[in-house]
Amino acid sequence: MQNPRNNRTRHRRIYVRRKVCRFCADKSMATDYKDCRTLRHFITERGKILPRRITGTCAKHQRRLTTAIKQARIMALLPFTSGHIIKD
Amino acid sequence: MKLRHYETFYLLHPDLSDEERTSISEQLQQIIIKGNGEIVKIDPWPLQKLAYRVQKQTQGYYVVTEYGALAESISEITRRLRLNEGVMKFVTTKLSNKFDAEALAKARNEPAPPVETVEEVSDSIQSTEKREEE
Repeated sequence: MQNPRNNRTRHRRIYVRRKVCRFCADKSMATDYKDCRTLRHFITERGKILPRRITGTCAKHQRRLTTAIKQARIMALLPFTSGHIIKD
Repeated sequence: MKLRHYETFYLLHPDLSDEERTSISEQLQQIIIKGNGEIVKIDPWPLQKLAYRVQKQTQGYYVVTEYGALAESISEITRRLRLNEGVMKFVTTKLSNKFDAEALAKARNEPAPPVETVEEVSDSIQSTEKREEE
């Protein structure tokens, strides 16, 4: 007998679109801690680093991305947490 | 003795005048040249909003300096930046173990390769974002 839950996951699978690593697709794009505009795509509103499963970044570039984000945070280009963001 | 390719990125106090800011960057240039180094580029950014308060300031001037230098000059640069009150934050990174000024100049003059895949990729990222919302 088939588990209905199993069936549902299989059904959903069909709609999953393969995510492409942005840095692999565009070879000219390198992870740079000074480029906070690009890095902002890879953090949440609270300032946390988005996981690979959401952004689709490959392992190699995710490693570089994390260091870049952390360096950008040190230089006050990106927030550590949303609590410290300057309000106007 | 070998030159290595470094980059120093620093954040200056927003109250500094133009002259004070250029004098800091000139000081750095002097250290680099004295240490038999070579400057590749100096890129001062316009006044920018910070992600969080630094020394109670909400804005600041960033400056990127790219150069080739010996390892000894780096400690001197770090010491100077630390002593300077106008410098709020700084970071020095090694871009490469080799420094080839000619190759760098060549790479700079050549136009960047055309970007073809960008649209497609941003599309897929949008779709992943949509999925997240659902």
